[in-house]
Amino acid sequence: MLIVTCIKQVPDTTQVRVDPVTGTLIREGVPFIINPYDTHALEEGLRLKEKYGFRVAVISMGPPNTEITLKKAIALGADEAVLLSDRAFGGADTLATSQVLSEAIRRLGQKEEVAIVICGRQTIDGDTAQVGPGIATRLGYSQLTLVDRIESVDLKAKKIRVRRRLEGRHEIVEAKLPAMIAVVKEINSLRYPTVPMRLMAEDSKATLWDNKIMGLNENTIGLKGSATQVRKIFSPQRTSGEIIGDGIKDPKEASRLLIERLIEKRALSI
Amino acid sequence: MEEEKKIRKPRGVARLIPGKCIACGARCQSDCPEDAIEMNEKGEPVINTAKCIGCRRCVKICPAQALEMYFTPEELKIIAGLAATVPEVVTTVEPGIKEYRGVWIFVEHTEGKPATVSWELLGEGAKLAKTLGVELCSLVIGEKVEHLCQESFAYGASKVYLIDAPVFQHYRTETYFRAICYLVEKYKPEILLMGATGMGRDLAGAVATKIKTGLTADCTGLDIDEKGYLLQTRPAFGGNIMATILTEKTRPQMSTVRPHVMALAKKDESRTGTIVRESMDIKEEDLPTRVIEVIEDATGEQLDLAGAEIIVSGGRGMCGSENFTILQELADELGGAVACSRAAVEAGWMPAERQVGQTGKTVRPKIYIACGISGAIQHLVGMQGSDVIIAINQDNKAPIFEVATYGIVGDVFQVVPAIINNIRELRERKVDK
Amino acid sequence: MLLNISTIVFAASITLFCWSCYGRFRLLLLGRPENRFNDVGKRIRGMIYYAFGQRCTVSHGYRFGWNHLVLFWSFMILLIANTEFLLEGLFPDFISFSLLPVSVYHPLAVLIEIASVLALLAVCIAMIRRLAFPPSYIEARSRDAFIILGLIALLMVAFFGLHASEIAQGSEEAASYMPISKFIASTVFSYVPSENMGGYISAFWWLHAIVLLGFLNYLPYSKHMHILTGIPNVFFRSLVKVNTQPREEFKKGNSFGVGKIDQFTWKGLIDSYSCTECGRCSDNCPATATGKLLNPRLVIHDIKVNLLKNGPLIAKKKDMVLPLIGGGEGSVSDEVLWACTTCGACMEVCPVFIEHVPRIVDMRRNLVEMNAKVPDELVSMFENMEQRSNPWGIVPGDRAKWAAEADVKPFETGKTEYLFYVGCFGAFDARSRKVSVAISRILNAAGISWGILGKDELCCGDSMRRLGNEFVFDRMALENIRIFKEKGITKIITECPHCYNTLKNDYRQYGLELEVIHHTEFISNMIKAGKLKLNAKDSGNVVFHDSCYLGRYNGIYDAPRNVIASVTGHAPIEMERRNDRSFCCGAGGGRMWMEENTGKRINVERVEEALKKDPGTICVCCPYCLTMFEDGLKAKKADARVQVLDLAEMVSGALK
Ligand SMILES: Cc1cc2nc3c(=O)[nH]c(=O)nc-3n(C[C@H](O)[C@H](O)[C@H](O)COP(=O)(O)OP(=O)(O)OC[C@H]3O[C@@H](n4cnc5c(N)ncnc54)[C@H](O)[C@@H]3O)c2cc1C
Ligand code: SF4
Ligand code: SF4
Ligand code: SF4
Ligand code: SF4
Repeated sequence: MLIVTCIKQVPDTTQVRVDPVTGTLIREGVPFIINPYDTHALEEGLRLKEKYGFRVAVISMGPPNTEITLKKAIALGADEAVLLSDRAFGGADTLATSQVLSEAIRRLGQKEEVAIVICGRQTIDGDTAQVGPGIATRLGYSQLTLVDRIESVDLKAKKIRVRRRLEGRHEIVEAKLPAMIAVVKEINSLRYPTVPMRLMAEDSKATLWDNKIMGLNENTIGLKGSATQVRKIFSPQRTSGEIIGDGIKDPKEASRLLIERLIEKRALSI
Repeated sequence: MEEEKKIRKPRGVARLIPGKCIACGARCQSDCPEDAIEMNEKGEPVINTAKCIGCRRCVKICPAQALEMYFTPEELKIIAGLAATVPEVVTTVEPGIKEYRGVWIFVEHTEGKPATVSWELLGEGAKLAKTLGVELCSLVIGEKVEHLCQESFAYGASKVYLIDAPVFQHYRTETYFRAICYLVEKYKPEILLMGATGMGRDLAGAVATKIKTGLTADCTGLDIDEKGYLLQTRPAFGGNIMATILTEKTRPQMSTVRPHVMALAKKDESRTGTIVRESMDIKEEDLPTRVIEVIEDATGEQLDLAGAEIIVSGGRGMCGSENFTILQELADELGGAVACSRAAVEAGWMPAERQVGQTGKTVRPKIYIACGISGAIQHLVGMQGSDVIIAINQDNKAPIFEVATYGIVGDVFQVVPAIINNIRELRERKVDK
Repeated sequence: MLLNISTIVFAASITLFCWSCYGRFRLLLLGRPENRFNDVGKRIRGMIYYAFGQRCTVSHGYRFGWNHLVLFWSFMILLIANTEFLLEGLFPDFISFSLLPVSVYHPLAVLIEIASVLALLAVCIAMIRRLAFPPSYIEARSRDAFIILGLIALLMVAFFGLHASEIAQGSEEAASYMPISKFIASTVFSYVPSENMGGYISAFWWLHAIVLLGFLNYLPYSKHMHILTGIPNVFFRSLVKVNTQPREEFKKGNSFGVGKIDQFTWKGLIDSYSCTECGRCSDNCPATATGKLLNPRLVIHDIKVNLLKNGPLIAKKKDMVLPLIGGGEGSVSDEVLWACTTCGACMEVCPVFIEHVPRIVDMRRNLVEMNAKVPDELVSMFENMEQRSNPWGIVPGDRAKWAAEADVKPFETGKTEYLFYVGCFGAFDARSRKVSVAISRILNAAGISWGILGKDELCCGDSMRRLGNEFVFDRMALENIRIFKEKGITKIITECPHCYNTLKNDYRQYGLELEVIHHTEFISNMIKAGKLKLNAKDSGNVVFHDSCYLGRYNGIYDAPRNVIASVTGHAPIEMERRNDRSFCCGAGGGRMWMEENTGKRINVERVEEALKKDPGTICVCCPYCLTMFEDGLKAKKADARVQVLDLAEMVSGALK
C-alpha cells in the first residue's frame, strides 16, 4: 500500500522583500525551500509508514532543480520520489496542477495500490489551498482538508478517521480509503534527517516523468490547461509601523484611534 | 505576397527587464511557440534571441510585466517610419459563454447558524450584479435551513436556490459539492462566490475542479472590467504582492473571499424574493464520509493558541499573574486567546504551554497584541509572522515597536481597559442602530 | 615449607593481578585510535609537575587536597617497600632490602617508617572526613571507599606489627632506624618472650602478605583504579586547551559520534578508569549546581561501568547488553547530555585531566547524526541554521540592518585589513546590536582599517558543533572558509567569544590559520598602544563576569580586567567564582536554544552571586552572557538598579 505525499518547491516568501522605490519584488538571494506545510504532510506520511507499514512516495511538479527538494524528502525517509517536470507543465494554475498530480498518482497506483494522498494545507507562494481538493475530486477520493490529527487507519475496513480543525470547532470524520488529506502544521512536529540517510539521499535520484511519459493532453495542463489568468501584479500598500496617538497623555483617545484603524484596515470587524 | 511587403515591420526580440520577474512558474516559457526560453536556477527566463521570432506572447502572458520587446536602433528607425501607416491589430477574445448569467453567493452555515462572511458577500455581490445588470442569488444547502432564505433576502438576494435534506445536516465535501455542481450545471451562473473559510475553501476547490473552471483563492478585492470579466484581486507570495486574476474562458468565475474584508450589506427585513427548491437523490449509504463528532472549541482561557485568530499576549510588564485577567477580558471580547512571553512563565504567572517564542510556540494569528512585552529576539521569532502586530509598551525604545504594525506607547493598565471599553461601546452603538 | 607456600601464593596472586590489569588494559584497546604520544618530553614534564606535584589536587583550595598529597607520596614510597616485600615473597633468598648497603638501607628504612605513619594518619583523616564531613556526593561513603581505606590501614598495621615483632625478636639489625616499630616493640611486645616472637612474625607477615595481595587484586575492580591509571592519564593529557572537537569524515558507511562504548577513542576509555571520584568536576558544574540531571563525574563513571559491562562482550564479538545512551547506571541519558553548557569548568579542575566535554559532545553527535533524536526546539533551530545561517531563521538580508546606526564600511579585498565579524547576536538581537555599534565606534576611534561582510556574513556554526550537529557545522565551516579565502580575509575581530573560539580553534582543523582577536583583546591592546584615549571616570561598582569561551577556553582573563581599570580607574569587583573557576551564564553549548526546565535557572544563580557584590554595572564581553544576565536581573527584579553592559559599551561611552 502506498502513501503519496505531494510537495512543492517554493521560493521562501518570508525572505522576499519589496523595493520601496520601484515596488518590485527583491528576489535576489531568496532560496527555494520545501513548502513548509508540505514538510508536515511528508512527516505525517512517514509516521503512518512507521505505524502501519505503508510505502511513501513523494511527488512534485516543478522545474528540474526541484530534485534537490525531493532528495531531502528521501533523506527524511521517503521510499520513492517522482519529479514531474516538463515545459508543458509550466504556468499552471491549480486546475492544471491538480490534473498533472492526479494523473501521476494514478500512474503510481498502477504499480501499487494508493491508500492515502497527503498534501499540505496550502503553499506559501500560491496560498490557494486548492490543489488538494482538486486532486481528491479528480481521483474521486474522500476529501479531508484541515486535518490536525489522524485518529486511526483501518486497512481491513479501508477506513480512515481524522480530526479536522475548522473555525471554532473540531470535527471527527470517518472516510473511506483511498482518501486525500490536507494537513495543517500543528498535526505533528518535524523530524530531523540522520546523517547516514542524508548521505544515502545525496546519491539517490528522483524518477523524472515528463509529458512524453505522462502523455497528457496539452490543453489540460500547464498554461494552456489553466482556467485562470494572472492579469497583473502589483505591490500592496504596506502599513509599516505606526505609533498611534499619545498613549501616555490620552490612553482613551489612542485606543479609540487604534480600533478605528483596525476596522478601517479590515483587520477587525465589530 | 513577399513582394508586397518589402519593408516588413521589425518584430524585435523579447528580453527580460532585470528585477521584475517574480518566478511565477514559467508562464513565459510555457507560452513561447519557438522554445526560445529556458528557465534559470532562479526561475527566471533566459531568452535565446536566435530562436525568438518576436511573437510577443511571453510579453503578454507575463503577469509581472517583466518582459519587453527589444529593437536594434536600425529597427527602431524602420518602426518610426512605419508608425503612421500600420495600425495595431487588436484581437478580442469572444467568451462564447453568454448563457451563464447571474451572481451567486454560497451561504455558509454550521447546522443552520450562518457565517457572517456570507452576508458580506451578498453586499459585494450586489455591486457586481448591478454592474453586470444581472440577478443576485444565494445558495442555501443544509437541513432545516429555510430561515436562511429569508435572511438572504434581507441582505439583498433576490432569489435563493434551496436544497434542504437530512444528508446535508453536517457539511461534507461530497454532498455539498455534488449539490452545487448540480445547481451550477442546471442554472449556469456567471459568478460564484464563497467565503475563504475552512469550509469555503474545501468546497470551492472541489466544485471548480469538477466543473473545470477557474477559481481564485482568498480574494480581497472584486471588480468587473470593461469586457464584463470578474477581476479578482488577491495577495500572493506571502502577501508581498497583489495579483489580479481573471477567468476568461470558463464559467462560472469562482472566487473565495477573505472574511472581514468586504463591507457587510445593510439588512432589510422587508425584502423578499423567490425560493427555488431543488432536491437531490443522495443516499447516506453511498457516501464515503461520515461526521462522527463535532467538538466545539473551548473558549476563554482554554482556547487553543494554534487555532486562535487573535492573540493577546502579556510579558513582564504585566507585573503579576492577577493582571492577566484584563488580557483575558480583552481576548474574550475579541474571541481570541491569551499567550505570554517567557518572562511571564518564568515568574509563574502563566503556564509554559502559553509561551510564544524560540523555545515556546510559533504563532501566526491575524492579530497579535503584545502587552508589556519588550520584543527580545527570542520572543519575536515566535510571532513576527502575524498579520497585524499591535504593541502596547511604556518604553518607546522597546524593540517590539520595530516589528509592530501599530504601537501605543503607554501604560498597559490604562490602554488595555480603554480598548475593551471602546469595543464594548462600539458594539452597543451597533446594536442600538 | 612456609616460604614455599608463600612463593606459590605470591606467584599466583601476582599472576592474577597482572591478568586483571591486562583484562582492563585489553578493554582500552577496543577504543578507536588517537595519537597521544606526541611531544613526549612535554608530557613527562607535565606528568611530573601535575601528578607527582599533585598540582590540581592541592590548588583550588580543596581542604582535603593536602591529605591526598600526603597519601600519594606515602604511597609512592611504600610502593618501593611493597615491591620489595613482593619480590622477597617470590624469591625469598635473593631479594631483600637488608642486602642493600647500609648507607642506602638505613635512610630508606626511616623514610618508609615515616611514610607508613603518614599514610596511616591520612587514611584515618580520610575515613573521618567521609563520616563526619561527607562530600557532596553519596558514593564517597560507599563500601568501596571504606574497603580501600581499611585495607591501606590494615596494611600499615601489619607493616608495623611485622617490624615491631622482628625488632622485639632481635632479628632486625636496622631497628634503630625504625623509630616507630621500635617504639611499638618496646611497648606492645615488651612482655612477650622473644622466643615466642616467631609466631607473631609469621602472623604479621601473613597478614601483610594477604592484605597486600588482596589490595592488589581488589584494586583493578574497585573505583580506586585511578591509583594505577591516574599517572598515565596525566601523561596522555591534551597538551593544548580542550577547546575544540575532532572533525568527522562524512563518508557513506561511516558511523558518527559515539553511541557505543567502543566508538570512544582509547583515551576516552582510559579517562574513565582514571577518575578518582574526587567530585571536583561536579562541584564546579553549573548544571549540577542548579539541580540538573547532569553530573560530569557520573558521566565518566557511567562510561567506565559501560566499558566493564560491554567490553568483554565486544571482545568476544557478542551483543552488548547495556546501551551507552539511555539512562541508569552505566548509561548516560539524553537529558544529561543536553544539559551541558560546555563551560569547561569540569575539565579545568579535574586533577587527572579527564576530558568531559568532548565525551558529552561525542554522544550528542550520536543522538543528532545517527538517531536524529533531539529536543523539539532544536529541530527548528537546526533547520534555521541550515537554511538561513542563523539560529532564529531571520531573513539573511537583514544581517546588515544594524549597520545603519553606525559608521561602517564593507570589507574590501586587498584594501581592508580587519574583518569585523559581527555574529548572529550582534547582527540580529536588538540589545547586542548596540554592542556592535559600540565596537564600530571603537574601531573607528582606533583608526584601523576595518570592514564588515554585511548580509554575506554567515553564522560561524559554534552552536551546531557543540550541539553535536557536526554534519551541518562542517558545511557551515567550509562555506565560511571559502568566503574568507575568496575575500582574502586573514585578520578578524569578533564580538562574540563563541565566534572567536570557533574561527580561531575550530577552523584551524581545516587548515585555516586566521589571526582572530576578540574585541576585549583588541581594545586592551589599543589602550596599551595609546591608540584609544579614554576619559577614566569612576562609574560605581563594576562586577566583571568571565565568559567561559574567552576565559577557560582561551585563557583571556586579564585583558577585560585591564580595560575596565582603564575605563573606571580601578580594577573590577570580583565575584567569588572568577577566572578559571568562573561560573557559566548558562547559554553555552547550545543551551541558549533550549528551554531550561529542570532545577534553578543557571543565569539566576549567577546573577544572585553578582548581586552579592552590590554592583551598579555588571560587565560582560559576550552577547550570550549579556542576554542571560539581563534576563536574570529581570527575574530578580534588579534590572532597575543594575545594568548589564558589554565591555565595548563601557569603552565606547568613555571615548575621548
Ligand atoms: C500571483 C499569483 C496568484 C495566483 N493565484 C491563483 C489563484 O487564485 N487560483 C489558481 O487556481 N491559481 C493561482 N495561481 C497559480 C498557483 O500558484 C499555482 O496553481 C500553483 O502552482 C499551485 O497552487 P498552490 O501553490 O496555491 O497550491 P495549494 O493548493 O496551496 O497547495 C496545496 C498542496 O498541494 C500540493 N501541491 C501544490 N502544488 C504542487 C506541486 N506543484 N507539486 C506537488 N504538490 C503540489 C502540496 O501538497 C500543497 O501543500 C496564482 C499564481 C500567481 C503567480
Ligand atoms: S517573443 Fe515569442 S518567440 Fe520570442 S521569446 Fe517571447 S514567446 Fe518566445
Ligand atoms: S512570465 Fe514573467 S514572471 Fe513569469 S517567469 Fe516569465 S518573466 Fe518571470
Ligand atoms: S562543561 Fe560545564 S556544564 Fe558541562 S559538564 Fe562540565 S562543568 Fe558541567
Ligand atoms: S572526573 Fe576528574 S574532577 Fe571529576 S571526579 Fe573524576 S577525577 Fe574528579
